[in-house]
Amino acid sequence: MQRDVGSLPLSPALRARLLAAGFQTAQELLETGPCGLSKEIGISREEALEALQVVRQECAGDAAKTAGGSGSTRKCTALELLEEEQTQGFIITFCSALDNILGGGVQLTKITEICGAPGVGKTQLCMQLAVDVQIPECFGGVAGEAVFIDTEGSFMVDRAADIATACVRHCQLIAEAHQEEDHLQALETFSLESILSHIYYFRCRDYIELLAQVYLLPDFLSEHSKVRLVVIDGIAFPFRHDFEDLSLRTRLLNGLAQQLIIIANDHKSAVVLTNQMTTRFGQNQSMLVPALGESWGHAATVRLIFHWDNTQRLATLYKSPSQKESTIPYNITPQGFRDVQPPPVTQNAEGTEMNPRKRPRREEEK
Amino acid sequence: MATKKLRRAKLSQELCERLSRYQITTCQDFLCLSLLELMKVTGESYRNVQKLLRKVSLACAPKMQTAYEMKVRRSINPSAAFLPTSLHSLDKVLHGGIPCGSLTELTSPPGCGKTQFCITMSVLATLPVSMGGLDGAVIYIDTESAFSAERLIEIAGNRFPTYFDSDEKLFCMTRSIHLYRELTCDSVLKRIKSLEEEIISKKIKLIIIDSVASVVRKEFDTKLQGNLAERSNFLARGASLLKYVAEEFSIPVILTNQITTSLSNGLAIPADLVSPAHDLSLSEVTGASGSGKKESACVTAALGNTWSHSVNTRLILQYHDLLTRQIVIAKSPVAPFSTFFYTVEKSGLVLQVIHS
Repeated sequence: MQRDVGSLPLSPALRARLLAAGFQTAQELLETGPCGLSKEIGISREEALEALQVVRQECAGDAAKTAGGSGSTRKCTALELLEEEQTQGFIITFCSALDNILGGGVQLTKITEICGAPGVGKTQLCMQLAVDVQIPECFGGVAGEAVFIDTEGSFMVDRAADIATACVRHCQLIAEAHQEEDHLQALETFSLESILSHIYYFRCRDYIELLAQVYLLPDFLSEHSKVRLVVIDGIAFPFRHDFEDLSLRTRLLNGLAQQLIIIANDHKSAVVLTNQMTTRFGQNQSMLVPALGESWGHAATVRLIFHWDNTQRLATLYKSPSQKESTIPYNITPQGFRDVQPPPVTQNAEGTEMNPRKRPRREEEK
Repeated sequence: MATKKLRRAKLSQELCERLSRYQITTCQDFLCLSLLELMKVTGESYRNVQKLLRKVSLACAPKMQTAYEMKVRRSINPSAAFLPTSLHSLDKVLHGGIPCGSLTELTSPPGCGKTQFCITMSVLATLPVSMGGLDGAVIYIDTESAFSAERLIEIAGNRFPTYFDSDEKLFCMTRSIHLYRELTCDSVLKRIKSLEEEIISKKIKLIIIDSVASVVRKEFDTKLQGNLAERSNFLARGASLLKYVAEEFSIPVILTNQITTSLSNGLAIPADLVSPAHDLSLSEVTGASGSGKKESACVTAALGNTWSHSVNTRLILQYHDLLTRQIVIAKSPVAPFSTFFYTVEKSGLVLQVIHS
């Protein structure tokens, strides 16, 4: 109620007039009423009414915030956060080594950035995640949908279909091994068509379309509330050419990062971005570093760098608030993103508490 | 699209006039401003500015499609997804051939057969669909003046003797290959910009640029300051225009590139490598160019890292021994690394099976 007039979200011209007339707090405005206000500062009654409605809403919002309710600022204890984090799902990648170093998989409500040289497997991992986010809960997934924003044109439907088919097959084998009711029920709706129908694809050809799409994303996610993953494949590509004004680029990227953090938090979804590598010239050698500059490095919570070591693909966890830095090898197979060797089998004769993602190896897997 | 004027974004006339006083006329100008700046120039409150932002974004944002819809659209027209290269083992690994709707790059040291491959693909594109072609015309942008019409006729006559049995058919084929000789970067870019209209008017089904590297490396000396940024700018702009055209009309685009020596001094720096297939010393190189593996600077595709990100498929041609060469699939979203051996003969490229 004692809120300063200058901080209210009114139009600048109106604000200037109110301040010039001598109003200081929101309380004064509400006490004056629309007719008095219109006479005093010389605006129409409708405008005055509109302004007062805005002020009333703001004050109501403030009151709710101080009572600790919902709003843009949230207040909770670390214990509540801990409980939330422990029940939160991860999006698995089907490469158990990668899931392990990430602490279970790609985390929801966080931004994960994947950097790598061309051809190393970034888009493959993105397609794998867009399929894996849809795995039903009884199989250890988060049962969500995926938004795929493509700026480079590297999304191949046939490849996504192959990955989806392999994932469905994997779940079918688990269901056969366990023979549980909810597994079989979930499998009825988990098919190739349903997976592909729940990947929402946007093709953005330049940075303006990308900015516009991210502005519209909160509305889209409110309509499609089951979305748990937003992939932007190629956040670097539209920003790396046609930009003479680098400070504008930094500002736009920062704004983009802020909006993505809000989206990740409000809709409890994971945001995955892929970045390119650029060559930085040192004194006597050149090295590959992630593109878009130093300040962009702060945008993502988790950063993975994919690179080569002779002929083996490696993934390094470069930045994470909770896991330590480590490097693991991975493979891209016709079925998608996988480990280098098959993961160790955990056999349990009684069949209790078996990891729903793993299943006993019966026949030789290719 | 970025240059869309605000009036077409369904903003009110008076608002557009007010904004044009601040030189904000296109959606691009509007979306690049922060919320506070927008409040200042529009004179609206915070909530209204957000509504305006949403309106303008709706005018610019792309349309949504689900992956399932894309798959269904593909399956309705399966033959339009690839252009077979008539090298059967290569086509099988590539799931059909050169993909339509994306950029394919061909890199090699000089004399390996890039131009021969391009000429062969030109012939293939003009063939009817029943023979694996695209039944359309070809735009061939030649920057090295390496295209030879006689060789074109020789390849066509020897590769498909039953189809090109008369001179009439050969001339018909040559009439559908449109050759443009461009010798500077500016003219290449202008030509790329004019492609959209040419494709519609001439029913083009394949675009070949031979070679991108020669014209770029002629004009941009990366040792001079500022040239590296300008070169990347030119390449990125060219790449995004070509991608737009390729996707919009669903046609393949083939570009050729050269080989360069990377900047290492005797040490093979793995971190610098774009991929192991690009380190030509790692693949089987013997005979003619094999002076010892991994000892001197490693060779990579030219035009830099950013360009490597722009192309979707990369095929590398290199020497194997005096007569045979090999073609390596270095980057492909659908195929793993594979190597095939070939020789260049009268009918163009012919795959060989090497028994070692």
